[in-house]
Amino acid sequence: MPGLLADGVELWPLALYFVAVVVLAGGILGLSYVLGERHRERATGMPYESGMIPTGSARVRMPVEFYLVALFFVIFDLEAVFIFGWAISARQLGWAGYVEVVIFIAVLVSALVYLWRQGALDWGTARRAGADRDRSGRRHGDE
Amino acid sequence: MRLTGKMPVPQKEKMNATFYISAAVAVLSTILVIVSRRAVHALLYFIVSLLAVAAMFYVMGAPFVAMLQVIIYAGAIMVLFLFVMMMINLGVDVRGPEQAWLRPSRLAGPAVLAGVLVAELVYVLAAGWKHSAAPVEVPPEQVGLAAFGPYVLGVELASLLLLAGLVGTYHLARGRREDKSPKEEQPR
Amino acid sequence: MNPILFHLLTIVILLAALLTVASMLIWGERRLLALWQDRYGPNRVGPLGLGQVVADIVKILAKEDWIPPFADKAVFQIAPGVILVATMTAFAVVPFAPGLAVADVNVGLLFFLAMSSMSVYSVALAGWSSNDKYSLLGSMRAISQMVSYEVFMGLSLMGVVIQVGSFRLGDIVLAQQRLWFALPQFLGLVVFFIAGLAETRRIPYDLPEAENELVAGYHTEYSGMKFASFFLGEYVGVTLFSSLVTTLFLGGWLGPVLPPLVWFILKTVLLVCLFILVRGSLPRPRYDQLMAMGWKIMLPLSLANLLVTGAIVLAREGAR
Repeated sequence: MPGLLADGVELWPLALYFVAVVVLAGGILGLSYVLGERHRERATGMPYESGMIPTGSARVRMPVEFYLVALFFVIFDLEAVFIFGWAISARQLGWAGYVEVVIFIAVLVSALVYLWRQGALDWGTARRAGADRDRSGRRHGDE
Repeated sequence: MRLTGKMPVPQKEKMNATFYISAAVAVLSTILVIVSRRAVHALLYFIVSLLAVAAMFYVMGAPFVAMLQVIIYAGAIMVLFLFVMMMINLGVDVRGPEQAWLRPSRLAGPAVLAGVLVAELVYVLAAGWKHSAAPVEVPPEQVGLAAFGPYVLGVELASLLLLAGLVGTYHLARGRREDKSPKEEQPR
Repeated sequence: MNPILFHLLTIVILLAALLTVASMLIWGERRLLALWQDRYGPNRVGPLGLGQVVADIVKILAKEDWIPPFADKAVFQIAPGVILVATMTAFAVVPFAPGLAVADVNVGLLFFLAMSSMSVYSVALAGWSSNDKYSLLGSMRAISQMVSYEVFMGLSLMGVVIQVGSFRLGDIVLAQQRLWFALPQFLGLVVFFIAGLAETRRIPYDLPEAENELVAGYHTEYSGMKFASFFLGEYVGVTLFSSLVTTLFLGGWLGPVLPPLVWFILKTVLLVCLFILVRGSLPRPRYDQLMAMGWKIMLPLSLANLLVTGAIVLAREGAR
């Protein structure tokens, strides 16, 4: 196995494959554009809302939870990447590396526990309203 | 053993071609980021630029960093950007406010600083052109060994920084939540 | 064989196989679901209803390729392409048999993770550019869900990486000659499979397109081949996750008697059927339950799996 797949040598099939995939995807979509029927009726250019006439713009604002999830994701993803680095060389790093990564993960988990207890991982308005009312009495009834 | 078989001389020519193509893509898409009128289009060009930089990392012999570039920058941070654009509905057309920000007087400071950087770049290119593009393959194991070996302090500090980031984010967003009723009227 | 020709052939056959599998799955899924739900499914066109595949393709191609006048046209057209490109590109690193891969690079596993993080854009851009309320809602849901499950998708695989010490998928397969990782890494396998369901937005995780509340979610405004692209992408994604589970946990091409490629295909097909069985048997959870499950159960589980695996590996090796 080693030697068979030296990385530099293998680069061009990867690039070629990528180009082929892009061409293929474009071709599929283009084919449909060429072959598809065309028509124009009274309601053709209208957004589909199950038969209702749309009111207002679709550019509605979203609750802030979505933003929180995205930010948590970015931060946890960064932490995960450090863990990737440890995982691949875990054997060479030995117990010293293990202790280091345990500390790293402990910090990560403490953040998770903190967010959990604050109710940041709970979704939906009802529960959050309850969390705002009394933050301490909520925990045992949580699960 | 895998490392030794990897650097035959003719390989370099091919690598350089790929490198320059991706570099050109990166520069071009970055220019398009700046001139795009719609925020989402700019963001798409930004993603392309980041992917091109990842390809450059790859051909320069840093596959691990290349993949992290895609996972973190293109796959996580840009998703966050796009998400925020979708949430606050930027991206439709922001020509008006943008023109207000981009008055020539405001550009003076950044322009001077960028000029310094360009001068530096020209100097570096003029002086050290010869020893550019000498790729040494760094396998992912070595990155892990370095991160949790000599640079472990940095890694642990990073974890604390990320902890602070998480807690800070949560509380910033929470503060918003308290005043729930006037949310719709909030100015952009 | 000439190595260049070999690579070209690999690429062509792989792409042809992917397209065939993806379009066959439209039929296959309906047949299997029908079997498990005790009904017929598409059985009229051709033997076993196989002609349904052709009929569907012809129908889709003849449909109007409608670009909404209120949409952001460029982004609207790119979005369905992104999912096809991202999921199909990820196949480049999968070794189907010894030495049979487009590029079995030394960061193969990360390449897969990178490509699956790219597929989020397809959903996000589709939802945003459609300029339709349902699309936007569906795509916000989809992004939060995919992003939440992506966090531990990578982490759940790190147990395998610790045991092998390489991101190269070929190395990971070869490391399973004594024992498939499905046994020591059972927890990782389960977590990864669930993450795979969430990433492909299959039924327990199909809230983004929950048809009874969001019409069709992020692809409400799509029609013709663009609409079908999301489904092709989904089926290619299911195949991708199945072949990765095969590679990482079920010994890849390893197996007695039969040739390696046959073993790989056999295992992958079984896993695809499992994906479909899951769709046939599970209900759709509530959105808050789904998010809570990701952050409160799956993430801690994958971290625990990682640490326990690390400790066991180090203890068995007698490391310093």
